[in-house]
Amino acid sequence: MTTLIRANLPVLVVIAPLFVAFILPPLARRIRLVEALALLGAVLGLGGAGYLASIVLTQQENPFIYQLGGWPAPWGIELVAGSLGVFFLLVVGVSVPVLLFAQGNLAAEVGGAERVTRFYVLYLLLVGAMAGMAVTNDMFNVYVLVEVATLSCCGLVSARRYPRAAEAAFTYLILATLGSALVLGGIGLIYLITGHLNMGFAAQELSRVWLARPHVVLMAVSLIVVGFGVKAALFPLHVWLPDAHSTAPSPASAILSGLAVKGYLICLVKFLYGVFGPTLLQEFAVHRILTLLGGVGIITGSILALTQEELKRRLAYSTVAQVGYLILGFGLLNVTGLAGALFYLASHAVIKATLFLAAGAMLAATGKRNVRDLAGVGRKMPITMAAFTIGSLGLIGLPLFSGFIGKWYLLLGSWEAGLILPAVAILAGSVLCAAYLLPVIRAAYFAPAPEEDWPDPGRPQKLALLLLAAAVVILGVRPGPFLELAQKAAAELLAFY
Amino acid sequence: MNGLLTKVLINYPYLVAVLLFTIGTFTVLTHPNLFKKLLGINIMESAIFLMFVASGNIRGGVAPIRGTTNAEAVYINPLPSALMLTGIVVSVSVTAFALALIMRLYKAYGTTDLRRIAARRKEVISDDHLDQG
Repeated sequence: MTTLIRANLPVLVVIAPLFVAFILPPLARRIRLVEALALLGAVLGLGGAGYLASIVLTQQENPFIYQLGGWPAPWGIELVAGSLGVFFLLVVGVSVPVLLFAQGNLAAEVGGAERVTRFYVLYLLLVGAMAGMAVTNDMFNVYVLVEVATLSCCGLVSARRYPRAAEAAFTYLILATLGSALVLGGIGLIYLITGHLNMGFAAQELSRVWLARPHVVLMAVSLIVVGFGVKAALFPLHVWLPDAHSTAPSPASAILSGLAVKGYLICLVKFLYGVFGPTLLQEFAVHRILTLLGGVGIITGSILALTQEELKRRLAYSTVAQVGYLILGFGLLNVTGLAGALFYLASHAVIKATLFLAAGAMLAATGKRNVRDLAGVGRKMPITMAAFTIGSLGLIGLPLFSGFIGKWYLLLGSWEAGLILPAVAILAGSVLCAAYLLPVIRAAYFAPAPEEDWPDPGRPQKLALLLLAAAVVILGVRPGPFLELAQKAAAELLAFY
Repeated sequence: MNGLLTKVLINYPYLVAVLLFTIGTFTVLTHPNLFKKLLGINIMESAIFLMFVASGNIRGGVAPIRGTTNAEAVYINPLPSALMLTGIVVSVSVTAFALALIMRLYKAYGTTDLRRIAARRKEVISDDHLDQG
């Protein structure tokens, strides 16, 4: 049994959440069971990811290659759990505390038992799709997983029954479909000139034929960068994000901002480094464009966040800025910068989930959306606000919190690349981040509190917040295996450069 | 120049795909009507499907079924068509979902025009905290 599980691990981590998702709907009447099963599905996924990580990290098998149906590549479809895949699988584990937060708490935001069940189905589909993106090595698989993720994200955004949520979901759906159509077009062009859908084989063939067909390759790169850019809210393609992420129910906001955006970025990394390769990127100056867009995204996103009164919208715009950091790191084209971007990706997933969940708990308890109305909330809801504070300090990038390590490596990376402006953008982003998050904390702790009674949320919610906050600190104090995985993944991606 | 023109004309399916893609994208991005946007998305996806299917086609090729043709027959590549079957399924589910959302928006606002929705947003949501199924 254990050998069977071990041999099929890469596909099991994808299938477990999907399988659980589809057995939930008939159980809708027994909502406790649904919640427990959903949590089980996510935990199984995380457990599998941990096991896989231990296999890859101890070099028993690195990368762990799994052939679906036993057909070898290039005819069959491959799942590859290398350093990058395992790294992102562990990041997908953020879904577990977020689900814990949702326990017994969703009905108020979403509606009756049936709607809550549907929410869990979509949530687990999203988790499965994300796990799939981590391990897939086939370009068409990427497209299918991206579509599964997009549809479940849109479902999650529209989960609340008020018209503005439907509006945000529609805008998101249209733009995201536009993005995936562009990505599919790019995949089609790569297939046209290489004849392969397997990323490894396509990369080999591409390095041979690209000189003969530079225009097709350039077109494919642009389609894929813009396509994933729309989906990952790369500035200036972020217009859908603030509405979608701020109108969704709190656990959905947390998972959308924390995880969903990252899945598309991991796919983008796989295409940029795994298919096109650093040499081609440099040839077409794609890396410079990425760094530029990332830098501008950091500054603009942060300034837009600064102007938002509503807390959840402020956090949503902050996500646009943080995506800028990752894109900037992808464009630096050195191991340090890429490792920094990958670590920052993990760190931001944890931090943004913490912040959105804490903001959601405050919104549920106080009914107040705007930052200035949340005065005194720190003394009324100590645990929620403590988690929010830790998350904020992490996002700003203070030492001992996870954001610091990512930003530090990004800075070193831009130093190595000999670029000053990205470094300036990184530092300015931190300052702006402090400017839009610290006023929340100051109001919460030092402004006079009103008379009303604002209790901390229930026990599972508190546990979820504490777990996430602890993860922010642990990643900051002892990044150990995580940083190692990020560095290994970056080194493997840039191996032929 | 003449050579280039002939090349383009011989590969006319790709030209049609590019045209359709442009029409679709233009409609999606400029039209305020929700249905038209959805139509634009569908046209755009059809363009991609056409490009894929055309890439597998060989003029004068036959379907790759063993034992039905002589040995010299040229087979077309069936893989892109098979992939696009999946693509069409995805496109149908996106369309269905978008139609459901349009219905909900129509119930709430009484219109499918984005500009009018923006104008009526304030009246409909007096307190945007409350659910208004």
